[in-house]
Amino acid sequence: MASTTSRNGARPATGRRRRLLYGLGGGAAILVGWQLLSLYLNPAIMASPADTAVALFKLAWGSKLWIEVLITLKRLVIGLAVGAAAGGVLGVAAGLEARLRSFLEPFRWVGMTIPAVIIAVLAMLWFGLGDFTVMFIVALIVLPTMYVNTLAGVLSVDRRLVEMGQVYRFPRRLMLTEIYLPGVASPALAGLTLATGIGVRAVVLAEVLAAMSGVGHAFSRAMSYLETPELYAWVVVLLGLMAVIEFGFLRPVKRRAMRWRKAAE
Amino acid sequence: MITFSEVSKFFDSLQVLREVSFRVAEGEIVAVVGPSGVGKTTVLRLIAGLLKPDAGAVSVAGAALGYVFQEPRLLPWRTALDNVAGPLRAKGVPKQQARETAAEWLERVELAGFEGYHPAELSGGMAQRVAIARAFAVQPRILLMDEPFSNMDVELKASLMVLLQGLIKELGTTVVFVTHDLLEALQLADRILELTPARTVRELDLADRAAVARDWLAKIQPLL
Repeated sequence: MASTTSRNGARPATGRRRRLLYGLGGGAAILVGWQLLSLYLNPAIMASPADTAVALFKLAWGSKLWIEVLITLKRLVIGLAVGAAAGGVLGVAAGLEARLRSFLEPFRWVGMTIPAVIIAVLAMLWFGLGDFTVMFIVALIVLPTMYVNTLAGVLSVDRRLVEMGQVYRFPRRLMLTEIYLPGVASPALAGLTLATGIGVRAVVLAEVLAAMSGVGHAFSRAMSYLETPELYAWVVVLLGLMAVIEFGFLRPVKRRAMRWRKAAE
Repeated sequence: MITFSEVSKFFDSLQVLREVSFRVAEGEIVAVVGPSGVGKTTVLRLIAGLLKPDAGAVSVAGAALGYVFQEPRLLPWRTALDNVAGPLRAKGVPKQQARETAAEWLERVELAGFEGYHPAELSGGMAQRVAIARAFAVQPRILLMDEPFSNMDVELKASLMVLLQGLIKELGTTVVFVTHDLLEALQLADRILELTPARTVRELDLADRAAVARDWLAKIQPLL
């Protein structure tokens, strides 16, 4: 029952503060680098942080930004949910059943080898432009990443715990909920974080190529009209979207799923 | 209760057991001894149904089985209470009732107050006591133990032995346990089966336990 906390509890707080300071330092370095580049490069290709902020404010003032963000968010969440759920379920099933694993191996290889842009072009060919196409592209790009991580998680579950479950005649459902799923949680959540990053890139790519709305389309439109500050503003919007998903959803879920590890520490 | 009839077991081309036969009657405490790698754990795994014999037959009467592994094998993401309650839930006991029974067993192994602790927060001895509580909570007719006292200091080993002896005596459980320590076996067991390097089994004559202990100590003395 050793504790990592010092008696007055000061050390962890100092550590957190220090990590936060370094993080803020990294963020400031990006802003400074961006500002310096904007001073030396043509404003048509590099908007300054200040011009970007003004463009962002204008977008946020009207309803345009919120409508495009909601459209993209809907496509991302549905595509991601379908792709991640399918990848997760297939990963668990393939981890438990070697024959299914062998059967799915060619699908995994194809899914992970075909470039995202080719998937997007083929989806446009099959389904035309629109919501469904974008969500299909996101789901198909996210699925193999989630599958591979979940499968790796199932295969790395402690065999001794599985044996314990067999000795005590755990039924299949209890084996899944008590041994496999908690064992898989860490790699599956790492996979979900990775898949979300890939999903954001996929949704933007899909909206640039295969949609007439959404953040990706707005970004593409700003590029066509050489509205450079607005173009950079959409990039900032995307980063904000990713931050909301990661800090507002993924991290709390991970913290909750990994509570036992925190308790152990 | 447990019958081995000319059981042979191979791992690839390596023969671990050669036509091994023995019986364990209800309520008996039987120790299986022998040097490392001689197939002691294989005997337990065959009884537990984790392995199937390549030849011969293993017959085990009674379904309820408790197993104390060499290491506690607790679910790290579950509390001590939920670890004990798990096998009860597997038997179909409602969750609340399973937790109540688990709490009673934790109290019996002197871990009252530690119900909400995760395995990593417990010492090795405490974790093994949780594993013992888990094994007894299912009210096993047969208890299997795989070197449950290995890697323990003398004091802890003695306290766990006393705890186990009390529980086994009280519940009349049939016990098969493996150990490489003959003194441990002499202390706990009614009968001792020795697995030999020839992969067969022979029963030690315990009419004079002190003599058996003396012979064994003389045999291992040169190795110490």
